Amino acid sequence: MKKFLVYVIVGVVTFTIGYNVNLIYFPDLSPKQPINFSHKIHAGDNSIPCQYCHIYADKSTVSGVPNVQRCIGCHKIIKQDAPEIQKLQGYWDRKETIPWVKVYNLPDFVYFSHKRHVKAGVPCQRCHGDVAKMDRITRQAVLFGIPYARVSPLKMGWCLDCHTNGAKEFIGMQVKNGRDCWTCHK
Amino acid sequence: MLNRRDFLKLVGVGGAGAAAGFALGELTKTPPAKLIPYLIPPEDVIPGIANWYASACMQCSAGCGILVRVMEGRAKKIEGNPLHPINKGGLCARGQAGLQLLYNPDRIKNPLKRNGKRGKGEFEEITWEEGLSILTNNLMELRSHGEADRLYLLTSLIRGHLNFLLADFMKAYGSPNYLQYDLFQYENLRFANKIIVGQYTIPHYDIANTNFLLSFGADFVTTWISPVNYNYGYGQMRQGEGRNVRGKLVQIEPRLSLTGANADEWVPVRPGTEGVLALGIAYIILEGGYYRGGDAKLWKDALKKYNPEAVASTTEVSEDRIKQLGKEFATTKPSLAIGGETVSSYENGVSNLVAINLLNHLSGNIGKTGGVIPNPDVIKKSFNPIATIAKDASRRKIKTLILHNANPVFTTPETLKLKDALKDIPFIASLSSLHDETTALADLILPSHTYFEDWGDDFAEPTVGYSVATIMQPAVSPLFNTKGAGDVFISLAKTLGGNLQKDITWEDFGVFLRDSWKKIYERHKGDIKEANFEDFWNDLLARGGWWDAVPKASKPVRVAASEVSAHLSSEPAKFEGNDKEYPFYLILYPHLSYKDGRGANLPWLQELPDPMTSVVWGTWIEMNSKAATGMGIKEGDMLLVESPFGKITAPVYFYPGQRPDTISIPLGQGHTSYGRYADGRGANPIELLPAKTDPKTGAIPLNSTRIKITRVNAPKSFVKMEGVAKELGRNIVQTITPEEFKKMGKEA
Repeated sequence: MKKFLVYVIVGVVTFTIGYNVNLIYFPDLSPKQPINFSHKIHAGDNSIPCQYCHIYADKSTVSGVPNVQRCIGCHKIIKQDAPEIQKLQGYWDRKETIPWVKVYNLPDFVYFSHKRHVKAGVPCQRCHGDVAKMDRITRQAVLFGIPYARVSPLKMGWCLDCHTNGAKEFIGMQVKNGRDCWTCHK
Repeated sequence: MLNRRDFLKLVGVGGAGAAAGFALGELTKTPPAKLIPYLIPPEDVIPGIANWYASACMQCSAGCGILVRVMEGRAKKIEGNPLHPINKGGLCARGQAGLQLLYNPDRIKNPLKRNGKRGKGEFEEITWEEGLSILTNNLMELRSHGEADRLYLLTSLIRGHLNFLLADFMKAYGSPNYLQYDLFQYENLRFANKIIVGQYTIPHYDIANTNFLLSFGADFVTTWISPVNYNYGYGQMRQGEGRNVRGKLVQIEPRLSLTGANADEWVPVRPGTEGVLALGIAYIILEGGYYRGGDAKLWKDALKKYNPEAVASTTEVSEDRIKQLGKEFATTKPSLAIGGETVSSYENGVSNLVAINLLNHLSGNIGKTGGVIPNPDVIKKSFNPIATIAKDASRRKIKTLILHNANPVFTTPETLKLKDALKDIPFIASLSSLHDETTALADLILPSHTYFEDWGDDFAEPTVGYSVATIMQPAVSPLFNTKGAGDVFISLAKTLGGNLQKDITWEDFGVFLRDSWKKIYERHKGDIKEANFEDFWNDLLARGGWWDAVPKASKPVRVAASEVSAHLSSEPAKFEGNDKEYPFYLILYPHLSYKDGRGANLPWLQELPDPMTSVVWGTWIEMNSKAATGMGIKEGDMLLVESPFGKITAPVYFYPGQRPDTISIPLGQGHTSYGRYADGRGANPIELLPAKTDPKTGAIPLNSTRIKITRVNAPKSFVKMEGVAKELGRNIVQTITPEEFKKMGKEA
C-alpha cells in the first residue's frame, strides 16, 4: 500500500514536470509557414528595409503583414521560376490571401503599439531578433547548434526591462512613466 | 531500503508519467493564430487606425448628425457630430444603439418571396433580378390597365432627397398616393403653430436662453421632437456659460416624466384639462395688464370664462397657483411655454396646443431669444392620415402597396382594422431591412440598406432657427445582399420605361444625390465656401452637413382673437368609456428607448432601465399606490387592463409620481414579429385605443380612453433595477429641518 502511494506520487510529479518541460522548452517558436518565405534573402542578402513591406509599422499599432499585391509587385518579374514563388502566384491567381502563421502573439489584455516604438527609434531587431539571418522566422536563439532560449519571451518583466532602465541605449533617454500600468493595460 | 527492483519500477513510472505529461502538453497546445493579410489593401484603411465617417442618425426624426467609427471596414461606435448644430456632439441612447440595427441578426439578408399564407411569415429567398422583375411586372400590369393611381407608397418620415426621388417616381408613374406615416409626426403641433406663429412647421424652442419654461407635458429630455437638442438647451438654461440666472422649469402633467422630475415645480393637473389651465393662465396675463398688444380688450372678451375659480374647479389646480403661474410667466423675461406629447395626444390636442401657444403670443415670446424662434419653411406636403389607407384598402382601392420602413400595423389601434384592410390588398412589397408587423403581410420583400450602408441626406425639422441639412454616406460596405431604397426605385424606373425613364435618368442613388446637391451648391449660401463643387462636396462629406447659420428675420404675425378662439375648446378633453365602469384615465407615453416601438429590437435598449421606474425588458402599468388600496394589489402583480375597445395584461408598478385617478403605460413593447429581441415581450397598449383620428391632422389621440383594472395573478416577469423604496433604517438619505439647521448656526 505504502509502495503504491510512492508510485502515485512519483507518477504525478514526473507528469507535471513532463507537461511543463513541453510548455516551457518546446513551444512552437518557429512554425512552418504556408510559403517558405525567407527573411534572410529579402532583408539580409537584398537589404530591403523592414518598412518597405511592413508598411503600417510607423503608422498604427500593428506593423502590417504585407498584402499579396505587394509581394506580386516585385515577383511579377523576379524569380518567377522558383517553386515557392509559383505558390505565391497560385494564391494571387486564385485571389486568395496567404494564411501566414503568427509567431509573435500578445494576449488581448496587453496594449502594444508598433508606432510608438518605431517612432521612439527602437530598432526592429531588438524584439524580433536578427531576422536578416533567419530563413524561417523563429523566436528560438541557438548557441553552437543547441536551442537554449527565446529571442523575446514577451513576458511583462521583459517589457519592463526597457521601460524602467534599459531604453537609454537605443532612444537615448528613459521611457517616460515607464512603470505606469496604464501604458500597456488599458 | 530501496532494492533494485523497486528502483527500476520507480524509474519506469516516472518515465511514463513524464512522457504522458509531455504528450498532454503537446496535444493541448492552442493552434497558432493566423495572420491574414489583405489581397489588395483598400486605400483609406490602415489596420488599427479608425476612420470616422460623418453621417446622419435615422433612429428618430430629430435629424442629429453622427460620426461613425470604422475600423478595418467595420462600424464600431457612433458618436454625435460636434459640428452639427442640432445635437452639438451629443447623442441619445437610441442613436448609440444604431450599431445593433446594422449588426442585427434578424436583418433580412436576401430578397424574399412569400411562400405560404399571407401573414404566416413564410418566405423563400430569391435573387434581386427575380425580386425586381416581380415588382416591375406588377407595376407594368397595373399601368397597362390604366390603374396607375391605385399604386400606394407608404414610407416613414423621409425628408431628404430620397423624398424628392420617390415623389418624382410616383408622379411619373401616375399615382398621387405617396404617403408618409409615423405615430409621432407632430401634425397637431404644426397645425397649432400655423394659427399662432403663422407657419405650418415646428419652430425652434429656445430653451437654452429662456428664464422661465412652462412645459405642458413636454417630456423634452427623453423623447419629445428633438431630445438631444433640448437636453443641450436645458443644460444651458440651468447653468450655461455666461448666464447668471438659473432658469426655472415648471412641468404641468398628470404623470411625472423624467422632465417633470427635473423641474422646479410639478403641477399634477387633471388629465385633459391642460388646455383649460393654459387659458386660465392667459386670463391672468390679460387681467394683470401684462399683455402689450392693442387688442387686449378683444382677448379679454374671448377668454372671460376662464377665470381662476372656474379653471381651478376643472383642472384641480388651486386658484392661487394659477394666479402665481400666470404672474410669473408674464413677468419673467424671456419666458417660454411648450406643449408636448401628452397634451397633443388628447382628442382636442390641437386646441390645447393653440391655447399654450397663445401664452407665448400674449407675453410676447414669439420671435424673441429665449422664446419661440420661427424656423425656415420646409417643403412639405400635407400628411394623409393613416385612416385613409385603412379606408382605401378596405374599399379595394389599393391594388399595390409599397412599404418603406413604416410599421403602421404596430402603431395603430386594432379598432382601426388596418391589418385586416391590408390583407385585402392584392400585392404588397416591402423595402424594410428588418421584419416587422407590417412587413409580415408582404408578398415580396426587397431588403434595403441600413443608414450605415447607404447614401442619403436629411433636412432636419425642426431646426434651430436656420436651415440644416445632414448628409449620410456609406460608412461600411453592405453586410448582406441588400440594396438602397433609392437604387431600387431608380432601377424600377429604368425597366418601367415611359415617363419614368425620361424623368429619372441617374444611374444610381449616389449620383442622383450628388447631382441634387449641385443645386444647393449653386446657391452659394451656407457656411461651406468653396470655389468649385468638387471641393464643396468633399467638405460636405467631411463635416457631415451643410447649414446656413443666418437666422431668418421673423415676420410679425397678426393673431386675431376671433380667429384663434374658434380653435379653442372650453371643455376638457373627452375620454371614451363612462367613469363608473372605467375609473381610470389612460395616459400612454413614448418610452425613452423604444419611442413608438422601433427600438424594441435592439438589446442594448431592452436592457436599459427606464430612468423613472428602473424597469427593464417589459411593459408595466404605472399607478399610484393610493389607488390600489382595497384592491389587494401588490407591486408586480399582473393586471388586466380593459378599455371599451381592447385589453392587455401587464405587471403593475407603484409610482408616486402618478395622479391616483390616472394610469400610465409606456409604448413600444408587445411586438409579434419584430425579431428575437422584441417578440413576446410586454404588451402593446395601443390596442386599448378607439378608432379615432384627428379630423384636421390625422393624428391618433393616444390619451382618449378610460380603463378599468382587475388583478389576474401574482408577479410574473417583472424586472426592475431598484430595490425597495424604503431606507430600512440604513439612514442613506440624511435630512434636517430648516429649524434644526438654523439652530446649528451654520448658516452662511
